[in-house]
Order: sequence, then structure tokens, then C-alpha cells
Amino acid sequence: MTRFVARCSLLIVFCAAAASLAGCATVQPWQRGRLSDRCMQFDPDTGRVSYMTHWQESREGSSGGFGVQGGGCGCK
Amino acid sequence: MGASKLRLGVFAIAALGGSVGLIRAQNNISLQFHAFQDTRGVTVLTPDVDLNRDLTDRSSLRVKFGVDAITSASDSCVRCHPGGEYDRRITASAALTQKVGATKFSIGGEVGDEHWYGSKALIASASRDLNGANTTIAGGFSYAVNHPVRHPSDDQIERQTAKNGYLSVTQTLSPTTAVQAGYEIARIDGFQTNVFLRAHVNDEFLVGNSPDTRTRHTIMARLRQALPADTFLEVDYRRYHDTWQLDSNALTLGLSHRFGGPVLATLGYRFYDQSGVFFYQPSYTGSPRYFTADFRLIPFDSGLYSGRLEVTPKNGVLGLATGTALMLEYERYRADTGFQAAIFSAGLRIPF
Repeated sequence: MTRFVARCSLLIVFCAAAASLAGCATVQPWQRGRLSDRCMQFDPDTGRVSYMTHWQESREGSSGGFGVQGGGCGCK
Repeated sequence: MGASKLRLGVFAIAALGGSVGLIRAQNNISLQFHAFQDTRGVTVLTPDVDLNRDLTDRSSLRVKFGVDAITSASDSCVRCHPGGEYDRRITASAALTQKVGATKFSIGGEVGDEHWYGSKALIASASRDLNGANTTIAGGFSYAVNHPVRHPSDDQIERQTAKNGYLSVTQTLSPTTAVQAGYEIARIDGFQTNVFLRAHVNDEFLVGNSPDTRTRHTIMARLRQALPADTFLEVDYRRYHDTWQLDSNALTLGLSHRFGGPVLATLGYRFYDQSGVFFYQPSYTGSPRYFTADFRLIPFDSGLYSGRLEVTPKNGVLGLATGTALMLEYERYRADTGFQAAIFSAGLRIPF
């Protein structure tokens, strides 16, 4: 299961990186109706992301990936 | 830093925001309440307030204040405090954002205070739209000075510094697809031992000893896809590696659907796995240089299931302004170590 997830994940990373590097897509402003929906935004609710990353850091050994972080906590 | 000083700082920043001439555009205040309970017996109640206010048409201020009220004891505390132990954590942050041309600059800070830990962080970031706003490049840096205390002592204060930088690229691929890729690096120096957990060394229980430096690397890839019938798919993947030889994968899937506009329902699942750090063992013999009993540093897999409902009635909610949204969320976390947690969140986002 772990190896399968890792391989799928690497594939997603590769596709996303390739797509980002392409940088040639041009979506016109009048085509952005659905892109402007909150569901299409990355982290529209920063308070929720902040809480989620905080409690996950208190349980897991890894962290990061959502931008710069504060000073962490001394969670027991 | 004392709690009173912390509150004073937050109110001063809020007052500063109120004294500047404002052009109201997308101002909102978000009130959230989270309740966390796990199988170790820990209950944490977290109210927080997040204020976003435009100062001009090109600048904005964000202020956040939150409290963790820990109302029960974890198993690591119960060893010495059979009757339970209570604690609280206060965090406050503020950030000022200024737009110059197509580039946004943001600078801010965060302070955190709890009984055996204190932190102060300076955070700066910038982002720029390119290619007709179809591409956004963002980067940032933070520097934090943290002070863990060697519990149970109150006066043996250690020092730890954390430097963190990230870079991300966001790209719209079509009118229904957006992707983001990012890389983050963090370097932590100083005291990093968990003083609350005792490792089993030669039939004795001792406070662990962890290396004083740790460098973390994280890559992230994310997808947002609009599907037919007001449905949206989100996929996030994070790959992590650090110099303590801890590797992890986190894959998050989410599916959202709008029911007639005002009601948004989201179901999510997150798979997570990690290896243990190079010095982790269930028990130690001899004279190990590094040893730990920190549950965050052992190998395990976990799953997180979540359900979220967001309601934005046309005429507002609870007599508040039109556009006010009510959010309810329930999450269930299960690890193969036997650890489980339930998290309930409720919130209001109020435009003004």
C-alpha cells in the first residue's frame, strides 16, 4: 500500500511539475468563472489550514509544504 | 513573554489597523472553535479569531489570535501527574501585505506562549502574477527563535532557532484546472529533545537525547479540478525527507459539491505514512548517543477522514451580514499504532 501510494504520488508530482513548467496556458479573464470559486483556490481558509497543520505536527514527525511557518509548539 | 504582554501587542496592532484610512473591499472576520479529543485522554479546546482588513486598495492587514486550552492530560503527563495536568497555549500573529504592480509583498510576525515553550517568528513572503495571471510564483522566508524549557524545571530554558524558506509555482491549465508545485526547506538548530517522554535505556526511563541540527526538505504537488454539476476535486501530495532519516508521504483527496449555491459539502481523506528516525528503537542498551521515546519519531501509517459543511444563506445567518458563512467540520484520525483522535470544528466567516 505504501509503495503504491508513493508511486502514484510521484506520478502526480511529475505531472503537476511538467504542467507548471509549461506555463503556456492562457485562460482569458472571461473564462475564469469556475476558477474563481473558493473550491478552486489553494488554501482559501488560512485559519483552518493553520489549525490543521498545528495538530498534525503535534502527532507526526514531518511538517511543511504550506508556506513559511511560525515557531511551532512544545506539544506533549 | 507573558500572556498580558501578548494581548497588549495584539490589541495595539488591531488599533493600528483601525487608525489608518480604510477603503473597505474584502474585509472579513473569521471566528472558529475547534475541539480535539484523542485516545490518550487529551482534550484541547481552541477558539481563534482571524481578521482580514483592507487598508487601501493595494494594502491589507491580517491579525490572528488563538488559544489552546488543554483540559486534560496526555499519557506522558499522567506518569507524573495522576490527577491530570492543565496547560494553555496562546498564539498571535499579524501580517501586512502591500501590492506593487503585479507583485505582492507581505511581512509579519508570530508569537507563541505556553508554560514550557515560547516562540517568536519573523515571516516575509512575496508573490508575482505572470502570463496574464495564469502563472503565480511565490516565495517566502521565516526565522524563528524558540525557547523550550527543560520540564519539570521552570528555569532551565533552552534555545532553538528555525530558518524556513519556500518557493511555489501555481499554474492555471484550463478554465477548469489549476495546479501548484512547491519546495520548502527548513533548518532547525539547538535543543530538540522532547522533555516530556522517557526512553527505555538499560531498564531505566530517561529523558531522550536528539541531535541538535535537523534539515527538512518538503516537496508539494496540488491539483484543483472543476467537474461537471458544481463539483470540485482536490488532490494534494507531500513528500518529506529530513536529516534524521525520517521520510513521509501524505496524499489528500477531497470532493466538494454545491447544493443549489448556498450549501457546500466536502468529503476528504488523507493517507499518511512515515519511517522512523535513524536513532529510534523501542528500547536501548549500552550507551547510545541518541535515543528517544517520542511518538512523532516512530514509523507508522495513518488515515484521516473528514466531512465538512459550509452554508452561506442569501440573507445572512444569525442576523449577521449578508455573505456570512457558517462552517461545520468533523474529522477522524486513526494511526496503526492504535492512536485515534476526533476533531470537531465550527466557524463563522463574517464580511464587513
